[in-house]
Amino acid sequence: MAPFRRRNVLLVLLAIAIIVPPFANYYYLFVANLVAIYVLLAIGLNILVGYTGQLAFANAAMFGIGAYATGLLQVRLGWSFWLAFPVGGVIAAAVGLAISLPALRLKGLYLALSTLAFAQATQWVFLHWDAVTFGAGGFKTPPLSFDPLPISKPLGLYYLSLLLAVVLFLFAQNLVASRVGRAFIALRDSDFAAESLGVDLLRYKALAFGVSGFYAGIAGGLNSALLNFVAPEGFDLFQMVLQKAMIVVGGLGSIVGSLLGAGIIVILLEVLREVKGLQEIVFGALLVIFVLFMRGGLVGLLKRKVRGWEEPLRLVSRRVRPKQSETSQTAARTEKADS
Amino acid sequence: MNTGLLSVRNVHVNFGGMKVLQGINLDVAQGEIRGLIGPNGAGKTTMLNVISGILRPQQGDIQLAGTSIVGLKPSQIAELGLGRTFQTSQLFKGMTVLENLMTGLHRRTRGGFLTAGFNLKLRQVEEEQMEEQAWRALEFVGMTQFAERTATELSFGQQRVLEIARTLIGEPKVVLLDEPAVGLSATRLIELDTLLRRIRDEKGVTLILIEHVIRLVMEVCDQVTVLSSGSCIADGAPQMVRNDPSVIEAYLGKELRARH
Repeated sequence: MAPFRRRNVLLVLLAIAIIVPPFANYYYLFVANLVAIYVLLAIGLNILVGYTGQLAFANAAMFGIGAYATGLLQVRLGWSFWLAFPVGGVIAAAVGLAISLPALRLKGLYLALSTLAFAQATQWVFLHWDAVTFGAGGFKTPPLSFDPLPISKPLGLYYLSLLLAVVLFLFAQNLVASRVGRAFIALRDSDFAAESLGVDLLRYKALAFGVSGFYAGIAGGLNSALLNFVAPEGFDLFQMVLQKAMIVVGGLGSIVGSLLGAGIIVILLEVLREVKGLQEIVFGALLVIFVLFMRGGLVGLLKRKVRGWEEPLRLVSRRVRPKQSETSQTAARTEKADS
Repeated sequence: MNTGLLSVRNVHVNFGGMKVLQGINLDVAQGEIRGLIGPNGAGKTTMLNVISGILRPQQGDIQLAGTSIVGLKPSQIAELGLGRTFQTSQLFKGMTVLENLMTGLHRRTRGGFLTAGFNLKLRQVEEEQMEEQAWRALEFVGMTQFAERTATELSFGQQRVLEIARTLIGEPKVVLLDEPAVGLSATRLIELDTLLRRIRDEKGVTLILIEHVIRLVMEVCDQVTVLSSGSCIADGAPQMVRNDPSVIEAYLGKELRARH
């Protein structure tokens, strides 16, 4: 019926992501791993910006907090990665919740500026609190090992990242198609109406900040393990622009859009690395095109052109179907008679 | 003293030095349709904003079913059973008609974000119930054929009706309607008239209606309260109010005299 519907396309992509990497060389494996990490970042950011409508700029800082927390817990306290990593995610989520508290009463530009200020402050802490963060030079994290599993570190980390990306992708898709997700969208589209229906604005804004912080924190932990190294420059304003570009290109307010945007931008940046200066030009042009002409992002295009890409904001059950009742049939008939 | 389902006692609101509401009293009984009229700037919308918790009065008390709601957040007041619509369309434009209605059931459902994200049983059960109720709400207003449309694709009149339906689906005790008839054609107006009566008679919901279309107010309201410059100048049955000299003077004057 609709061979290119979303589910089919995603399953094929997943199959490729599972089968091909063992045969790929180190570099391709590295890029694939990067894609999985950025998918997590883009999904978290899209929940906050695309769905909940909070123009926040702290996601790169959250990414950094996840990376630093995971790395420092290993280096400073001697924890194993397997403990430090989830704790790092939780710390980033907690920081996300904490910064949401002052941000909750701010909207639009004011929210943007205050979260930007927070991001800059975080950057400053990474750079200058030498006693804990090792300062500008960054630090090496202990080598990760998947013993006793018979799998190399790069491949093991890739599959771990893929697993988390898939699980958290599904989690996000369920989340946005539920009463919680609809509360997010309600407060984006009309906060007055949302409140009048009993949606507690502060609570749902805080939740969106917390969830996006957790996604960014998990991505940060994976990134620290991928590079075996943590340093401040990876979590600066350019990182933030990169993530925003992913959700704009993929599609604001779309989980699958976050996936497509992250994949395309990471791969594009790698391909263009060969030619000096081209990265910036193509990247800029892409942003301009999408902002000016393709507001819905790639997903908007797919929804219009390909069947089966709709993203209903509810759990579509087969049991509840329109039993065309008599009233509605008469209504439909009168409507036809009118036109 | 508490009379009626919604009772407003001596409410004062100032914006800076401007006295927008000066000691308003209002008692609305269960099952009543109350009209709230008055010239522009009389304080009608301020009144709704105070009741629904968007504004906090400097003085006075408001009780809903015997509970004081002054100082509560709008969402808490909604939880206690107060619904409202707005002067301009406040539909969620990123959602379909059905999803808008399901959002109206927010306060009737409980599933948190883990329940949702991990697709636990509670989410599945609630989603199914919500969708069923949304279909029933669409049947009530005769709009089932628009279920899957984006909310903003509807005509102006349909958007107004959908907004009322979205408020009603959460089964509030009292609903505040801010100019539901604005911009409606004559036919639509008759439909709205019928709908408001059905809401009162079939759902037992108490309605408070701000309206400039005087004919609708006179026909549909059981009681009418007239505000002028932040004070209540008349209160009573529509017939009584329309003949009250102070009301005619304050506001209705030209239109009604011309008709007599």
